[in-house]
Amino acid sequence: MKSLPNYLQAQRKRLALSQEEVGFLLGLNGMNKGNKVCRDETFAREPSLLDALAYEVIYGHPVSELFAGLHQQAQQRVAERAKVLSFRNVRNADPRRKQSIIQLAESASLNPNNP
Amino acid sequence: MTQNNTVRILAIAPTARGFGYAVMEGSRRLIAFSNKSILRNKNERTLVWVAKLIRRYEPAVMVLPAVNAADTRRAKRIKQLQQQLAVLATQHKLKVKLITATKVREQLLGQIKGNKQSQAEMLAGLFPIELAPRLPPKRKVWKSEDPRMDIFDAAGLAVAFWPK
Repeated sequence: MKSLPNYLQAQRKRLALSQEEVGFLLGLNGMNKGNKVCRDETFAREPSLLDALAYEVIYGHPVSELFAGLHQQAQQRVAERAKVLSFRNVRNADPRRKQSIIQLAESASLNPNNP
Repeated sequence: MTQNNTVRILAIAPTARGFGYAVMEGSRRLIAFSNKSILRNKNERTLVWVAKLIRRYEPAVMVLPAVNAADTRRAKRIKQLQQQLAVLATQHKLKVKLITATKVREQLLGQIKGNKQSQAEMLAGLFPIELAPRLPPKRKVWKSEDPRMDIFDAAGLAVAFWPK
């Protein structure tokens, strides 16, 4: 099963916080701070790195869990690029380099969440 | 039908005032739930809302109440809406699972008799963080049903989908 881009709404409801309150905790300005949080939760907007880390602090779950779908997507893309990199021949390459690239290329297939 | 723990399901409970919905990933993970009141053109607007939910949550299965079952009496509009929802699900390539009210009671209460309040209390016990704060007070005989009960109708369908 493909994960949802994020699980922010479920986590917010778990803590019984309103979107307005989460917006305030994120440090958003303006009258309708809840709107940005709403757009994050409905996948209409991808929050900045700073906001993503703030979400991690607020909800107490790692970013990779909160943004499971995006994490999965990033993991797959890196694995695809690592496969390309593994075909490149580098003279006198460090054996650790080869091993790390192979591990990255295999990471997408090892993750049970990936389709 | 595959009923493993990694399927995302969308349960829709059409009601007289609108509908309730619940999204679950596996038998213990309630992702989203809410109720929506619709005043005019109820069936058309419900379909628009449900299409939006399908696009947002991308479920594999839509769980609907079996409104034509022997143990159920529902309004003609609700019966039509259920058929329209099933067509919508097929258009979005979702599997449709119909669940009877008896099966929901069996799954939640362990017996075929019981009322909605006891089902809601059981669900609030299963999901204390998510649903317990939404549990409406026991309905007085002179009062109409609390709108929050739509959420519990949908959550009951979603829970009954998973084998015990």
